[in-house]
Amino acid sequence: MLSALEPSSEILHPDYTSFIPARTRRRMTDGLKMAAVCAKDCLAQIGLEQPDAIAVGTSMGCSLFTKKFLKKIVSFEGGLLSPTSFMLSTHNTIAGQISLLLGNHQYNMTHTQNTLSFEHALLDGMMHIEEGQNNVLVGAADEREEELYNIKERLHNQDVILTCGASFFILSSHASKTNPIKLVDVKSLGLVENVKLKVLQLLKANDWLAKDIDLILYASSHQTTKKELSELFEVGQLFDYQRVSGLYFTNSAFALNYATDILSRGKHPVEAKSVKKILICNNIIPENLGLMLLEHC
Amino acid sequence: MELFVTGIGVMTAIGNTVAENFHSLKVARTGIQRSAKLGLMLGEVSFSNEEIIEKLGLTKIDYSRTTLLGMLAAKEAWGKNEHKEEIATGLISATSAGGMDRIEKYFAQAHHEGMDTSRRMTYENGRTTEGIAKELGIKGYIGTISTACSSGANAIMHGARLIQSGRLDRVLVGGVDPLVDYNIKGFSSLGIYAEGICTPFDQNRKGLNLGEGAAFLVLESAASLSITGNKPLCLLSGWDNSTDAFHQTASSADGKGATLAMKHALKKAKLLAKDISYVNVHGTGTQNNDLSESAALRNVFGHKMPPFSSTKSFTGHTLAAAGAIEAVYCILSLRSNAIFPSLNFSTPIKATGLIPATSFREKVEVKHALTNAFGFGGNCTCLIFSKKM
Repeated sequence: MLSALEPSSEILHPDYTSFIPARTRRRMTDGLKMAAVCAKDCLAQIGLEQPDAIAVGTSMGCSLFTKKFLKKIVSFEGGLLSPTSFMLSTHNTIAGQISLLLGNHQYNMTHTQNTLSFEHALLDGMMHIEEGQNNVLVGAADEREEELYNIKERLHNQDVILTCGASFFILSSHASKTNPIKLVDVKSLGLVENVKLKVLQLLKANDWLAKDIDLILYASSHQTTKKELSELFEVGQLFDYQRVSGLYFTNSAFALNYATDILSRGKHPVEAKSVKKILICNNIIPENLGLMLLEHC
Repeated sequence: MELFVTGIGVMTAIGNTVAENFHSLKVARTGIQRSAKLGLMLGEVSFSNEEIIEKLGLTKIDYSRTTLLGMLAAKEAWGKNEHKEEIATGLISATSAGGMDRIEKYFAQAHHEGMDTSRRMTYENGRTTEGIAKELGIKGYIGTISTACSSGANAIMHGARLIQSGRLDRVLVGGVDPLVDYNIKGFSSLGIYAEGICTPFDQNRKGLNLGEGAAFLVLESAASLSITGNKPLCLLSGWDNSTDAFHQTASSADGKGATLAMKHALKKAKLLAKDISYVNVHGTGTQNNDLSESAALRNVFGHKMPPFSSTKSFTGHTLAAAGAIEAVYCILSLRSNAIFPSLNFSTPIKATGLIPATSFREKVEVKHALTNAFGFGGNCTCLIFSKKM
C-alpha cells in the first residue's frame, strides 16, 4: 500500500533526460515534463510508437506560464514583451507538446472541466476505441500553483495536501495479455443533486450489483459523499484516495492509476482480501460527479 | 447516423443576434474598429457586461464576461427547447480565456496597490461553462474544450461524437471568448497583431485583429427530433481533428495538419472536394496562417477551389469562439444560398494565387459548407455542414 502524503512529502521527479530532448526540456515546467514522461513511458511499456488519438484533461493548463505572462503584463513599461510564456500558456500546451515530441498527426484534444477534466479525456478516449481506433493515449496533468488559484478555498478547506501530478494511460481495443484490466464505463455528471442515485443508475446500466464491488476509491470535500456511499456499500470497502494522491484538480487520474495497480496485484490495499472490481467515485466538488468502473478480466 | 442542427445563436462585433450578424455580412459592414481606449483595431461586442446582466435579468452580478457572452448566445440557440427526462441533454462550451477578464482586474489591483488579492483568483474555464449550464437549467454532461483557436469547432465535434455514441440525444455546443488584455498583449508580443485592419489571404497581409464573441448550436439525434418536434436547419455531416506536429504556435509550410483535417472530414461526410460549395477559412490574416492554410486548400481542392472567405475580416479573430461563430456563418450560407465576402482583399498570395469571394452573392446553390479552425499546438479542425436532402 502507498503511504499517506505528509505535509513534508516532496514531489518525486523521474530522470527527465532520457525522455525529453534537452532543448525542449529547458522550456518546460515540471507539470509539462511529468506529463511528457508519463506519455512516453506509457507508449514504451507496450512498445507502441504512435497512438491513434491523444486526449488530455487539465483544469488549470500551464498555470505557471499563465501567471508568468500576467506578471509581465502588469509590470510592463514599454519595450518588447517576450512571447515565450504566452505561447506555452494555452491549456492544450500539454497535449500539443506531446504531439510534437512524438511527431503525432492524429486527433489531439484538451478537456478542461475543473475536477472532471480527466473523466472527460477518458470518455473521449473510450469513444475513439468504440469508433474503431486501436490504441488511444489519455491522461491528465495539473500543476501546483498556490498563488494563482483558490483551489483549497473552492474545495471547502479540506484537510488534504495541495500538490500536483500527471498520469497517463493507453486504452486499447484488445485486452493486454499480461495485465488485462477493463475500463467498463466512465460517467461525468455536472450539477448533480443525488450522488447515491447516480451511482446506482451507472451500476444498473452495466449490470453490476453493489455487493460485487470489492473496493470503492472515492474523493470528497464533504461528509455527505461518504454517508451516501455507505448506504450502498460496506464502510470497509470505501477508501479515500486523496490521502495518498493529495489534492489537485485532476487527481482522479491518479485514482485510475492506483486502481489498475490494485487490480494487477488483485489485493486490497488495506484488508486481506482479493479485488476484482473497483468503482472510482470523484465527488471533490459536491455538484460534480465522476464515476469509473474497472474490472480485472 | 444523421446529426441535425436545430438551433443557432451568435453574438459578435457585427451583431448581437443571428439576424444582425447576417445583415452585416450581407451589407459588408465590418465590426472591427480602432479602440479609443487601447488604440488598437478590435472587434468588440456592443453590449457591456451591465447591459447583458440586465437583459438576462441576473441577480448575481460577478460573472466573467465569458459566461455572460456565452449565456446570451446559448439562449438564442436554445430558443424554446424544453427539458425532458427522456432526452439526455448536455452542454459543451469552448474557451481559451475562461475567467481571465476578472483575474486581470485582481492582478492589476494587486500590482498597483501592493495587495495580495491573488489568492482570490481563479480562471478555471469549466466554471464559465457551469454558469451557462445553470442559466439554461442543463444538468449532466457539462464540458469545456480548450485547444486555443480551434476550441469552438472542437466543442461542436465533441458534441456530435457524444450523440453518435448514444450517450446524448441533444447537446448545446459552441464557444466563447471575451477580449482580454492577456490575449491582446500575447498576440502583440508574437508580432502578429496588425496595426491596421486585417487583410486575410492578401499578399500584403500584416497580421490579425482580435475580436470577441460567442456562438452556440443545438445538435440533435433523430430520436430527439421525434420528441422535440424541432425543424432541422441542416446537418452536421463531417468533422475531424488532426495535428500539424510542426511547432507550438506556427503552422507548417505544407499545411499538413490542415490538409489531414479537411481530407478526413470529407471522408467522414462521404463527400468529394468538388461537392463543397463554400469554405469559411480560418484566415487570420497572419503571414504564417494564410500561407499554410492556402497550401492545405490547394492540397485538398487543387485548382478547383470553391468560393471561400475569411469572415474574421468582419469579426476579428475571436479565438475559442471563432470555430463556433464560423460554423454558424456556414449554416447561414446553406440556409440562404449565399456566399459571404472577405473584406480588405486586393492582391492574391503569390505562392498559391487563391482569390477569396469579395462581394456578397445570393442565389448560389450551397449544398455543403466547410469551415476550418486552427489553434496553437498544431491543432487543426474541420467541420462540414450539409443541406438536408
